[in-house]
Amino acid sequence: MSKIHFSVPIFSIGLILLLTIFSWSFFLIYFDFTDGFSLTAVKEFLSRLIGWELGGDSAFLSSQSWFEAFRLGLTTLKMSILAIGIAAVFSFLTFAPGARTMVFSDKGILASPIPAAIFAVIKVSYTLTRGIPELLWAMLIVFVLPPSIFAGAIALAIHNYGVLGRLLGEAVENMDQRPIKALRSSGANSIQILFYCIMPEIFPKFLTYLLYRWEVVIRTTVVVGFLAAGGLGRELKLSMSWFHYDEVGVLLVTYMLLVFLVDYASLILRKYVN
Amino acid sequence: MRLNKTHMPDPRIVTTFILVVVFLGSLLFSDWGNLVSHGGGGAMIRLMGKGLISLELSYDFILLALEASLITLAYAVCAISVAVLFGFIGGLIASGGLFSSIVTKLSAIVFFRALLAVVRSIHELIWAWLIALALGFTPMSGILALAIPYSAILARVYADFLNDVPEPSLQALRTAGATPLQVMLYGRIPAAAKEMVSYGFYRFECCIRSASVLSFIGLQGLGYQIGVSLDDLLFAEVWTLLLFLVGLIILVDYWGSTLRRFL
Repeated sequence: MSKIHFSVPIFSIGLILLLTIFSWSFFLIYFDFTDGFSLTAVKEFLSRLIGWELGGDSAFLSSQSWFEAFRLGLTTLKMSILAIGIAAVFSFLTFAPGARTMVFSDKGILASPIPAAIFAVIKVSYTLTRGIPELLWAMLIVFVLPPSIFAGAIALAIHNYGVLGRLLGEAVENMDQRPIKALRSSGANSIQILFYCIMPEIFPKFLTYLLYRWEVVIRTTVVVGFLAAGGLGRELKLSMSWFHYDEVGVLLVTYMLLVFLVDYASLILRKYVN
Repeated sequence: MRLNKTHMPDPRIVTTFILVVVFLGSLLFSDWGNLVSHGGGGAMIRLMGKGLISLELSYDFILLALEASLITLAYAVCAISVAVLFGFIGGLIASGGLFSSIVTKLSAIVFFRALLAVVRSIHELIWAWLIALALGFTPMSGILALAIPYSAILARVYADFLNDVPEPSLQALRTAGATPLQVMLYGRIPAAAKEMVSYGFYRFECCIRSASVLSFIGLQGLGYQIGVSLDDLLFAEVWTLLLFLVGLIILVDYWGSTLRRFL
């Protein structure tokens, strides 16, 4: 009997096909997809979103509702900056003791048990915080902190701490190891290696990742605001529950403008750094 | 870090300075008054911590968590399968590599990329709310809500991957008389395939996280069960469900990185 070789790509293709077939059949069997789907419903919803039937009373024509939306947009912007700032501080403080190449020697032997334990704790914290989305963190946070933009910012910060920490850790682990070895063999300690070898290469990357994540955070800030009661998200939820669709429209446009603003600012700063 | 007085200031230091000032400004201009008014936050943290060390691991609950995980996974698979398909097609168009005349090429790039930017600017759960309001709170709305922004993200990134293929290898094809379509099929796509698969897996992982919170529009899955357990303050159950989600993410992450090494 010939030995069957296990091929990762073929196994992957098979598993992808299986998952796709099973998932689609699950929904197609248990739910009627034609139920509720009609183009007229979409058209009606869109016309309500721009306040068509309200004519001159549409929120789109009221300077006050725009002013209010921009004010809330500013709060949302503040929440995103707080979130990414807190995440940046904590990931920056932990990435070095959380990188395998910083803690373990070339042969994979631990220097001493204490750094190894710190390494393990940091890695687990990255995996846990990264694996759980911002919104679930927000659901937990509102039990501890009063609903506010700060509570929302903390929820966003927890998830992004894990994302940034992992990105930085991988950047350190994928670095060219030769200069580090050279420094270590000439007697440099870990702190010296960190500042003379790792920081110059990692710091621009850190700024780039940070700005990229800020673009993601500003999009999510609105959703977290739904739950944690802050800025545009909170108002969006209220307008939706009152069926004030034209106000929802104004808030959505403000939200999109804010996202473009942040994307643009991030692009400019990233180009400037590199 | 030091400032170099004789030359232009280092962009990194300037950027860091800007970011720190903006962050501190946001801290200063926030309303901190209501932070302390919430009694019982400490007690709640203790309750949460207690839940983490005494996970709910009864047979029935594990079964329930498994079922919720599979539903979340099914949503993610349905959404990402559509998104990869449309992302790939969209990427081909947005890269501009399929068009030979410069006018059609530029208009395709500008128009299509602008459309993708608008679609991407809205978070998937806002899409979910809007679609649910228009079409009803059904699984179809959930799948669509994830598939639409994910298609736009994949299309944009795939277009970038296709554009980033080094020019010399494509020039060889062109001098041999290849049409833009042939350059795409035999030059760009094979060269970008590894990155495309890799990014697709990363997005699949993100999609599972997004699918887990489709409870936002009342759909089943891990987020829904977490909400049910939170209502009764059963943190032991909440943590078990969260760990199932993290486990799912780790599995997909591991699968993706293993596959990457074999490509």
